[in-house]
Amino acid sequence: MAALTREAAGRLLARQGILVAFAVFMVVFALANPRFIDIGNVAGVIRSSAILGVMALGVTFVVIGGNLDLSVGSMMSFSTIVVLDLHDTLGPALAIPAMFALTLCLGAFIGILVGYLKLNSLIVTLGMLSAIHGLTLMWSGGKNMDIADKAGTWFGIFGRGDVLGIPVPILIFALLAVVLSVVLSRTPFGRKVYAVGGNGTAATFSGVPRARVVFLTYILSAFCVAIAGLMQASRSLGSQNTVGQGMELEVLAAVILGGASLLGGAGTIFKTVIGVLILGFIQNGLLLMGLEFYVQYVVTWVIIILAVWLDIAAKRSRLWSPIA
Amino acid sequence: MTRKLTAALVAGTALAGPAMAQDTMTIGITQNNVGVDSYQTTYESAFIDAAAANDAVETVVLDAGGDVARQIAQVEDLIQQQVDAIIIWPTNGEAVIPAVRKASQAGIPVIVTNSNIAEQGFDFVASFSGPDNITQGARAAEIMCDRFKALGIETEAEIVQISGQPGYTTAIERAKGFEDRLPEVCPEVTLLETQPGDWNREKSQQVMEAFLVKYDSIDGVYAGDDNMGVGALNAAKAAGRAGDITFVGATNFAVGYEAMEAGDYWGSIYQSPVDDAEAALQTAIDVLNGEDVPFLNYFDTPKITQDNMGEFTKPVF
Repeated sequence: MAALTREAAGRLLARQGILVAFAVFMVVFALANPRFIDIGNVAGVIRSSAILGVMALGVTFVVIGGNLDLSVGSMMSFSTIVVLDLHDTLGPALAIPAMFALTLCLGAFIGILVGYLKLNSLIVTLGMLSAIHGLTLMWSGGKNMDIADKAGTWFGIFGRGDVLGIPVPILIFALLAVVLSVVLSRTPFGRKVYAVGGNGTAATFSGVPRARVVFLTYILSAFCVAIAGLMQASRSLGSQNTVGQGMELEVLAAVILGGASLLGGAGTIFKTVIGVLILGFIQNGLLLMGLEFYVQYVVTWVIIILAVWLDIAAKRSRLWSPIA
Repeated sequence: MTRKLTAALVAGTALAGPAMAQDTMTIGITQNNVGVDSYQTTYESAFIDAAAANDAVETVVLDAGGDVARQIAQVEDLIQQQVDAIIIWPTNGEAVIPAVRKASQAGIPVIVTNSNIAEQGFDFVASFSGPDNITQGARAAEIMCDRFKALGIETEAEIVQISGQPGYTTAIERAKGFEDRLPEVCPEVTLLETQPGDWNREKSQQVMEAFLVKYDSIDGVYAGDDNMGVGALNAAKAAGRAGDITFVGATNFAVGYEAMEAGDYWGSIYQSPVDDAEAALQTAIDVLNGEDVPFLNYFDTPKITQDNMGEFTKPVF
């Protein structure tokens, strides 16, 4: 009897280990400070995670397709700076599509290098991390970019507005997560992404155009980055050149935390969303606990490792699994 | 053969040395992270302009991109190039000391600019040129305290602090100046908590959001620079609590100046990157000319508040 329930619990853990880990952290933080689960705080955390989250949705496709994208942080800085600058020269209605076009060009460029020239994605996107940062600085001349007339523009709606009491960034994140989840799990394109990342050779022999699929994952990633940049620019109506710096690693952490395999072929949008929320709530929870900030860096790492370990242990249904 | 060559090189250098000092002096600079904020960007262009205006000076302008290892390599490059003086804007107050010592041992005077290196490196430095960050922190505490007195809440006010990048000397000194001075001028004001905003407006906004959830009453925010101060202001505005809070920053940025004009932001410390860059270059020139230069060569950074902001022009960065 006891063994049966244990087995059932094991099966639940195996499938949703990361969700269980998430629940455990939430309870611990809530016990440490009841304000942690205050509705205002929860909404605040989700809203500020939304930008990272939107980027992580795109990167999930890239990672499942068997590649990496370390350029998303720099690219987000680029799209933020560009849309803010064009806002004052072209007006917001033209600035937004122009920024999307430029950001998609960057994504297409990376997609061609990785997909059609078959260059290693780590090297290509690590290089693009610096190169795009350089482009951003060239565009802005290194100066902070601020919208001149902050009171008289409707541009703030994507970052500051709300609909029926729900902040717009949360709505964008949720809507995009649902759409991309359907795309990944229920469309031929989604299947091909899994196939290319899971077993490229088999995919080729099944007639899947690998290069095009990889190319499209980078286009999708750039599209998500453009949305994130729009939200970021809209939220503060001004920006530093380095606003996205370091986010590529947080995004990757969220995607891996959600259980996507770095080797490709595995992962889901839903779990990436959980990964994003875990990161957001850890940061917020540690702040509310008022831990010394040097300690926070270490504790964040410990929690991430714990979560990944819990997830892996659940999948293998054992805690201790040395390399054989 | 090799020995002869070395001897010839040494002789050549010895001849070239004094001759060069008369004609032009070559000054190398390795900056912290140009482009990370407008202050550093404006500093660099002001430095280049000031050097261009002076016929006696040639410069090698480098930027470490915030990377300690790269900065150490740049100092070594400048030593190899045998520049006459090196100006360094440290990426990290401690890690660059060995490189600074190496330059000093090679007979090249080192001038530290903007934010000082740690004390154990002082022996290898000819002069520090920059703002006095401890005084800036202390002045910010005075601005905050004076405002509380005007509002009549100096006996009960509770404040939070958002500091700069952990480990960065400027951040540590400003926090120290503020924390030491506040109890002297306003002993009954409570500093609830300090968290870093990493000189980043977004990060600061997130930290402030957490503070607003955690504390029901916040009367003042001290931010290590205006960029972070404005981030905190944005968070408080979104929560509808900006009107209750006195915001004081440092390094008055254009965004901070505008927020002061709008009446949202109380005060800051006026620090011009142009003055900073020109002071660094002048200090290096004075050191090379053998003039008597104080070890801590500060330029003045006055208080600016909504009351006296008319006396200052809006910062260009």
